Amino acid sequence: MWEQTKSTFLAAVASIVQTFARLLPGILAMLLLVLVSVLVALVARGLLRRVCARLDVDRRLREWGMAAPAVAGRAGPSQLIARLGAWTVVATGFLVGLSVLESTAASSLALRLLDYVPHAVVGLVIVVAGLAGSRAVERSVLIGAVNMGLHSARLLGLGARWLVQVLAGAMALEQLGIGGTILTAAFAVLFGGIVLSLSLAVGLGSRDIVARSLEKRLEQGDKADTPAGGQTHHL
Amino acid sequence: MPEPSVRPEDREAGHEAAAGSSLAPGPLLVAVQGRAAAALAAAPPLAEGLRSRFAPREIEVFIADVGPEGVAIVPWEDAGPGPEGRSPPLTPPPASQGAVAGSASPLGPLLRLGAARGAAGMAIVAAEAHDPSIDWLDLLLSPVVEGGYDLVCPAYRRNRTAGAINSGIVAPLVRTLWGLALRQPLGTEMAISGSLALRLLEDDDWRRRPAEAGSDAWLLAKALGGEARVAQAWLGAWPRPAGEPEELSQTLARALGLVFTEMERSADRWQRMGGGLRPLASFGSGGFEPGGEELDPGRLHAAFSLGLRELEPIWSLVLPPATLLALQRAERGAARGFDPGLWARIVYDFAVAHMARTVERRQLLRSLTPLYLGWLAGLARSAATLDDPGFEAQLEAVAAAFERERRYLIGRWRWPDDFNP
Repeated sequence: MWEQTKSTFLAAVASIVQTFARLLPGILAMLLLVLVSVLVALVARGLLRRVCARLDVDRRLREWGMAAPAVAGRAGPSQLIARLGAWTVVATGFLVGLSVLESTAASSLALRLLDYVPHAVVGLVIVVAGLAGSRAVERSVLIGAVNMGLHSARLLGLGARWLVQVLAGAMALEQLGIGGTILTAAFAVLFGGIVLSLSLAVGLGSRDIVARSLEKRLEQGDKADTPAGGQTHHL
Repeated sequence: MPEPSVRPEDREAGHEAAAGSSLAPGPLLVAVQGRAAAALAAAPPLAEGLRSRFAPREIEVFIADVGPEGVAIVPWEDAGPGPEGRSPPLTPPPASQGAVAGSASPLGPLLRLGAARGAAGMAIVAAEAHDPSIDWLDLLLSPVVEGGYDLVCPAYRRNRTAGAINSGIVAPLVRTLWGLALRQPLGTEMAISGSLALRLLEDDDWRRRPAEAGSDAWLLAKALGGEARVAQAWLGAWPRPAGEPEELSQTLARALGLVFTEMERSADRWQRMGGGLRPLASFGSGGFEPGGEELDPGRLHAAFSLGLRELEPIWSLVLPPATLLALQRAERGAARGFDPGLWARIVYDFAVAHMARTVERRQLLRSLTPLYLGWLAGLARSAATLDDPGFEAQLEAVAAAFERERRYLIGRWRWPDDFNP
């Protein structure tokens, strides 16, 4: 009994050792690849930082309202971009490392994930651009609405921001292949809902104002009804 | 023959003509800027008037043609659908007057042509009808052609609240930075001597900043920051352009964009100038036109209140907390209006934010609109209650506040991040 157990155990250990010995070159290759990817990531982070500094990315993003003002001790946008780039390289290196393992499951998973990486990167870029662009659009709409004397200026700005963000989110999800036709339909419903809500909010909220404005315009002919005096030349 | 503009009464007023002036030889070149039909109609009587006043000097009148490839100047005889059907109609230039961008200004082509012809003087005039009671051509051109001045800037009789961007922002800024109390620094019209034209053409900006070189703000910065002899001529009632005025926030963004850009480019020069007023020769008589009561201070103040409520997150990136607090007080005390010092600091803070690109530039300048309306509400109240000398004193107080706050401007300009938004 003991002998049988011992032989079974030894056979199992031998099998594990053999499997490990068979996998060891692959694991070493994977670790080497990860190590190389870490080194490449460090170089990429440095390069990205330099490129961002040269392009003055922090200042430009703040100028467009896409990033908060600089605060001591908090990472700026260019640092985040550099970190994101570095972690993307490390993750890609890890997946490439997995693909060299002599494990069918791990390799096929890694290959599938590697195929997915470009889509994920494009989706991420769309989301980031959408989030950033939505801030600029919100600010522009807000200023324009205030200058037109609209009292629901913030609501309009917020609506414009959400429209851009929902659009970017839908595009990113489509890029990632998530949702399919359900997503398109849901997006159409959501987008249409936001536009309808805004129209109703502005339309019902400012019905009296629009009516008064039209009456005044009809009374005064073509003379524009603006706080700054329609016929006044300010320059 | 009209009386020359360098008149005894001007000298008595303390405006001495440039010493050692002489009649400069060479032709006189004048470009008409405005809508095509108005320019074509204005050119013949203009040419005739110039020939009768400045005979036997050679006179050439051109029309500024703004096309997709830039601005060209065309002799008026060759422009437009004449009796022989000479040329196609000209492209209409921008409808508004003043604050013309370099890319839309005929200054560059005019200077180059003037230099090639050895012109004694050049002028850009508006196509719109001028005050018939004033010999405005003589007032504009004589100081350059006969008085030895390099640049003559226009000033107009307008109603009190008209042109408030000029009188409440640009004129006090020019006075503080360059020490000259010009009344309407961003007018379309101007006269330039041949010698100043040659100096301007040597400037590297024509190559490095072709879109900006040639704007009226650029010309002012170059002339006032250099050794040019500058004069001002009161040309009578303002030649009002036809059509609807441009939307206010667009005018603000366009005009102040040009002014703040030149302020940034010439920062080393104006910071060295040290402040103080320089004497300015002024020809003709000024004053205000009646009218200007159409502005409703209550509505202007309401527009400011709305801006304060909605745009505070953007303004807090530009204005220090103390200024925001002062604005909240001004919002509550509607009848008092803006303190001139507060208004000066606001303009300076926006100039610094424009330089430091704290907020995207067009958004920044458009966000100034409610603040401008808040300040204008106070001016409109003054216009309704004060007489002409009192209103003049009000404008003077604004300009004096800009001068007083010069140290604030320089401090913020050198350390734009000094306050933490």
